[in-house]
Amino acid sequence: MRVVIAEDAALLREGLTRLLEDRGHAVCAAVSDGGALLAAVAEHHPDVAVVDIRMPPTHTDEGLRAALKLRQDFPATGVLMFSQYIETSYSAQLLEGGAAGVGYLLKDRVANVAEFSAALERVAGGGTALDPEVVSQLFRASRQRGGLATLTPRERQVLALMAEGRSNAGIAAELVVSGGAVEKHVASIFTKLGLPPDESDNRRVLAVLRYLGPAGA
Amino acid sequence: MDEEIRRVAGMILEAPLTRRNRRELLYCGLGGLAGALGFWILVALLVFGLTVSVSVIGTVVGLLLITLTLRLSRRIGSLHRRLSNRILGQQVEPPARFQPGSGALGRVDRRLRDRAAWRAIWYSLVKLPVAFVQLYAIALTVCGLIDFTYPLLWVLFRHGSSAPLPLLQPLPFGGSPTVSTWVGTYFAALVGAFLVVAGAWVARGINAGDRALVRNLLGPTSMAERVSELERTRSLAVEDSAAVLRRVERDLHDGAQMRLAALAMNLGMAREKLEDPDNATVRELIDAAHQNAVDALADLRDLARGIHPPVLDSGLASALASLAASSAIPATVTADIATRPAPAIETIAYFCAAELIANATKHSYANQIKIKIYTERTGFLRLDVSDDGVGGADAARGSGLAGLAQRVSTVDGRIEVSSPAGGPTVVTVELPLRA
Repeated sequence: MRVVIAEDAALLREGLTRLLEDRGHAVCAAVSDGGALLAAVAEHHPDVAVVDIRMPPTHTDEGLRAALKLRQDFPATGVLMFSQYIETSYSAQLLEGGAAGVGYLLKDRVANVAEFSAALERVAGGGTALDPEVVSQLFRASRQRGGLATLTPRERQVLALMAEGRSNAGIAAELVVSGGAVEKHVASIFTKLGLPPDESDNRRVLAVLRYLGPAGA
Repeated sequence: MDEEIRRVAGMILEAPLTRRNRRELLYCGLGGLAGALGFWILVALLVFGLTVSVSVIGTVVGLLLITLTLRLSRRIGSLHRRLSNRILGQQVEPPARFQPGSGALGRVDRRLRDRAAWRAIWYSLVKLPVAFVQLYAIALTVCGLIDFTYPLLWVLFRHGSSAPLPLLQPLPFGGSPTVSTWVGTYFAALVGAFLVVAGAWVARGINAGDRALVRNLLGPTSMAERVSELERTRSLAVEDSAAVLRRVERDLHDGAQMRLAALAMNLGMAREKLEDPDNATVRELIDAAHQNAVDALADLRDLARGIHPPVLDSGLASALASLAASSAIPATVTADIATRPAPAIETIAYFCAAELIANATKHSYANQIKIKIYTERTGFLRLDVSDDGVGGADAARGSGLAGLAQRVSTVDGRIEVSSPAGGPTVVTVELPLRA
């Protein structure tokens, strides 16, 4: 997997580079601001870009704006936004153009190297990786709508993992159950919430996000 | 009646002999000289500065000259005030201390608007005629004293010379009389005594006027000016604390949070490399360290967000949208912000909205929250948070609402709560655009 990293803190930039190279990925470029990111992506056409949201010069949402531009100009490159904070308005903007090849994770998640790497691979492969924090905010926001109340606790867990962008196999591994059990839960969730049956992981994420609203695509 | 006249006459005649007269005359001398000198210095600088600043090239130089003049005028004013306090026993407090602005422009601007300095200039201008009268009182006294000694001089030094002695008198009329007889010197002494008495009373009169001027122009500004001064400094304090919080948050973000994230990442990588069962103890330790780093990151994030929500940097509208999106009760935001308010105001509005949404979530049983934020033509920012819940919110009981009212009042904002039992609840917060 070929990766471009945009992160202004040198410590994290180097750490990330090392982490990814350690796991056999190629880091084509590691830059420290939005402009350099766009240039690096144009040059290397990587599979995925890891983008810090707060970068110079404004230290506000530089990374988000660069990410939106990347989505538009280089749809083949996955974008993983990476930040100290989860802001639902940011995830809403990012997901506006669809959930394919999009991720939004807290920086804390790099602590779990295997999961972080799996999320990055998912995004590079055109999938979705949303932070559990994003998902729990969405859950909180849609609690009142009643639909979720009909789900069993296990089904809710499965729904949350689906919203994060995990595949059935990923969900099975996380919950330590069989793939068949997950499929059964998923079918039951889709029936209860009145969602169309799933075809691909990606469409499934979209359907779930749309159901959870307001940050959904 | 006779008694009364005699008493008044005695008082008038004895005035030159009192301690007070010496102080009055001392003040006339020092204050008069300082006044005359200060007047010319300030007028010269001011006229020069104004003339130069009229020409295009000289504007900067002229402005600098004027600020210099204002700075000097404060000094001169303070000298006058201290002379008056020390010698005449007044007790005039100094005006509020000068608050320097930041940046070159800010500093010049603050100087140009320094009311105390401008008032000191007024004092220096008015002081010129006053100083003349004060110096005149000194002249009267000195001439009088010399004239008064003529009989003595005549006896001690004349020894038969018949050249007439000039009679000193600083009056604009009467010419320059001379004294050429021994009897005439007694007349001169009488005139001298009269001049000394006159000098004493002129000094007293003019100094009374000068004292009033010092009190009114060199003392602290009036209450209304003081209030506006306090308003200005308060707004500076509010803005300043907002900026400090903003900086603390950024320092946390770029410092501790970033380092902890890197630490957690390194520990995570180390953990992956310790799959070997022989390393079980080390792995346990690393697991614990890893968990601590992750927890610390979460704590620090909550702390930093409480200090200054970073999303506010992209504007109030998107910050409120984020807030609404994470609300447990569905919330909608309509925003119409024509001019961006000061950061301190945005922060207050944000925390108000957060608190009001939290209140609605806890107490209202509402199905829907509506948040409206807009700027009014009158230069105010308005935040309306309404819900369709059960109502009954009371600013007097809820400590949350009271806290909001306090926070809002630090910038002269208003908060209005309408929440009849049975609902709906509408809370309106009105804030000035600038703190």
